[in-house]
Amino acid sequence: MKKALIVLEKEWLELRLQPMLLLATLFLPPLITLIAILGFFAVGKFTASTIGSAAPLPPEFTSLSPLEIGQAIVGRQFSTLFLLLPIFIPSVLASYAIVGEKRERTLEPVLATPIRTWELLLGKMLAALLPALAITIASATLFIGGILAFAVSNRVRDMIVTPGWILAVIVDTPLLALIGVALIVVLSSRVNDPRTAQQISAVLVVPILGLLFGQLAGVVVLGPAVALGIGAVLTVIAAGALWFATRLFQREVILTRWR
Amino acid sequence: MAHAIETHGLTRRFDGRVAVEGLSLSVEAGTVFGFLGPNGAGKTTTVRMLAALIAPSDGDAIVAGHALGVDDTALRRAVGILTEQPGLYDRLSARQNLRYFARLYDLEPARADAQVERYLHLLELWDRRDEPVGTFSKGMRQKLAIARALLHEPAIVFLDEPTAALDPEAARTVRDFVKGLRAEGRTIFLTTHNLPEADELCDSIGIFQRRLLRMGSPAELRAGLFGAGTIVRVVGDAARLVPVARSLPFVRDARADGETLTLQLDDPDSRNPDLVDALRAAGARIRYVERLQHSLEDVYLRLVGGRS
Repeated sequence: MKKALIVLEKEWLELRLQPMLLLATLFLPPLITLIAILGFFAVGKFTASTIGSAAPLPPEFTSLSPLEIGQAIVGRQFSTLFLLLPIFIPSVLASYAIVGEKRERTLEPVLATPIRTWELLLGKMLAALLPALAITIASATLFIGGILAFAVSNRVRDMIVTPGWILAVIVDTPLLALIGVALIVVLSSRVNDPRTAQQISAVLVVPILGLLFGQLAGVVVLGPAVALGIGAVLTVIAAGALWFATRLFQREVILTRWR
Repeated sequence: MAHAIETHGLTRRFDGRVAVEGLSLSVEAGTVFGFLGPNGAGKTTTVRMLAALIAPSDGDAIVAGHALGVDDTALRRAVGILTEQPGLYDRLSARQNLRYFARLYDLEPARADAQVERYLHLLELWDRRDEPVGTFSKGMRQKLAIARALLHEPAIVFLDEPTAALDPEAARTVRDFVKGLRAEGRTIFLTTHNLPEADELCDSIGIFQRRLLRMGSPAELRAGLFGAGTIVRVVGDAARLVPVARSLPFVRDARADGETLTLQLDDPDSRNPDLVDALRAAGARIRYVERLQHSLEDVYLRLVGGRS
C-alpha cells in the first residue's frame, strides 16, 4: 500500500507540472457549474410565459408555472453533468498516467523495482479517481448551493435536488469513475496516444445521455430505486472492468503485449 | 568463487516462437559478464527473465541467491537494471526522478535523499539536479538511468547497451564507471554491440543467438576459435615462402598477402625461433615478427556471421 501512495505522490507531482492539463480537468467543472447556476438564475428571471407549451413536458411539470418549468428544465439538464464529470475527469488523468507512461517507455524501469503490479495500478487509479471524485462532489455541492439560493420555489428545488439525484452522485459517480479508469487501463494496452484513449472511453457518456434524455422525455424518473438499481448494474460492470484491467495490467503482459 | 547468476536450461517462448532456448550459464560474483549477440537474438528477453520481469517458459535460474519465480520481489530488490531505453520522466527533475525510484526500491526518505545526492555527484549531474530531465542530452539521460539502477546498491547490475548512441566522451565516462562498479565488487551483466568495449570491460563473454553459442574469457574465445599464430613481414613477395613454411611440422597453415606471411602454429612462443631460422635459410629478409591477434569482432563474426 505504501508504494501505491508513492506512485500517487509522483502522479500528482507530474500533474502539477502540467498546468494546462490541471486547468482543463480541475477548474473546468466548477466553471461549468457556475455557468449552470447563472443559467438557472437567469431562467428564473426571464423565462417567457409560453415556454410551457413549446414542447411536450414530463407529467410532473404540469402543475408548475412557466418560470418554474424553465428552471426545472435547466436544473435537471445540468444536474446530469455531475454524472458525466466522473467519466471525463479520470479518463483524462488516467490516460496521461498510463498511456503517457507507456509512450515514454517509463513503465519497464518501474516494473523492475520491487513494486507489486497491484500497487502500481492502485496508485495510478487513485491518482485519477481522487481528484475526479473530489472535484465532482465539490461542484455538485456548489450546484446544490446555487439551486437552493436561486430556485424560484421549493417545488423547483425539490424537482432538481432529489434523493435519487443525490444517491446517484454519491453512489453512481464513483462507480462510473472506476469504470472509466478501468477502461483506460484496458485501452492502454492497445493505444499509444492519451487522446485516443480518452476519445474511445468517451463512449461511456452514451448511457448517461440516455438517462438525461429519458428524464427530459419523462420516460425515466431518477428516483432512489433507479439510482440504486443503476448503482447495482454499475457495480457489476465495474467489477468486471477491474478484473479485466487487472489481468491486462500485469508485468508480463505490459512488457510483452503492450505495443 | 561464488556464482552471482546461474541458469539451467532457461527457455522463453512467445506464442510458439522460441526467443531463448536452453540457456545454461554461470557468472562469477564480482566480474563483468558480456552478453553479445545480434539484434533480435533474445538478449533483452534474457535480461528481463533474470531481472524477474518476465517468467521463463522452462528452466530455472538463481540470481543474487534468489531462485526465479520464488520471491521475485526480493530478487528485484537485489538487482539493478539499466533498460534499453532510459525511460525517465521528462517533466520531473533529475532529483525527483531518482527520489521516486529510490522510494520504490524501499529506501527510507532520508537514505533516499542521501543516495540520490551521492549518485548525482558521482555521475556529475549534481549541478543540473533540479532541471527537468526533458532538457538533458542523451549522455546525461543515460548517466541518470545508470544512477537509477544503482540507488539501492544492488549486488548485480544489468546494463542493456549502456553506451549505445553516446558520444565518445560520455561513453568513456560510462565505461570508467562500469570499471568502478567492478572494483566495488559488484557483478555486471552487460549486453552490448560494441565489441571493443566488451573486450575492454568483460572478464567473460557469452555469445548468444537464441541459444548460447560460446562462452569464455575474451582470450579463451580467441584461442579456441582461431588458435595461435604469427605474422612475419618480409622484404619482397612472401608467396615464395609459403611452401617453406608449410613444410615445417609445427605449422598448421600459411598464407601470403604481399609482403606479409600469416601462419597458424601450435606454440608460437617456443616455435618462432625455429620458424625464423627456416625462413632465413630459405633466403627471407625479415622486417618484423608479430603475434597474430584476433579481435573479439573476428570471434563474434565467426560465430554469429554465418547464422544471421
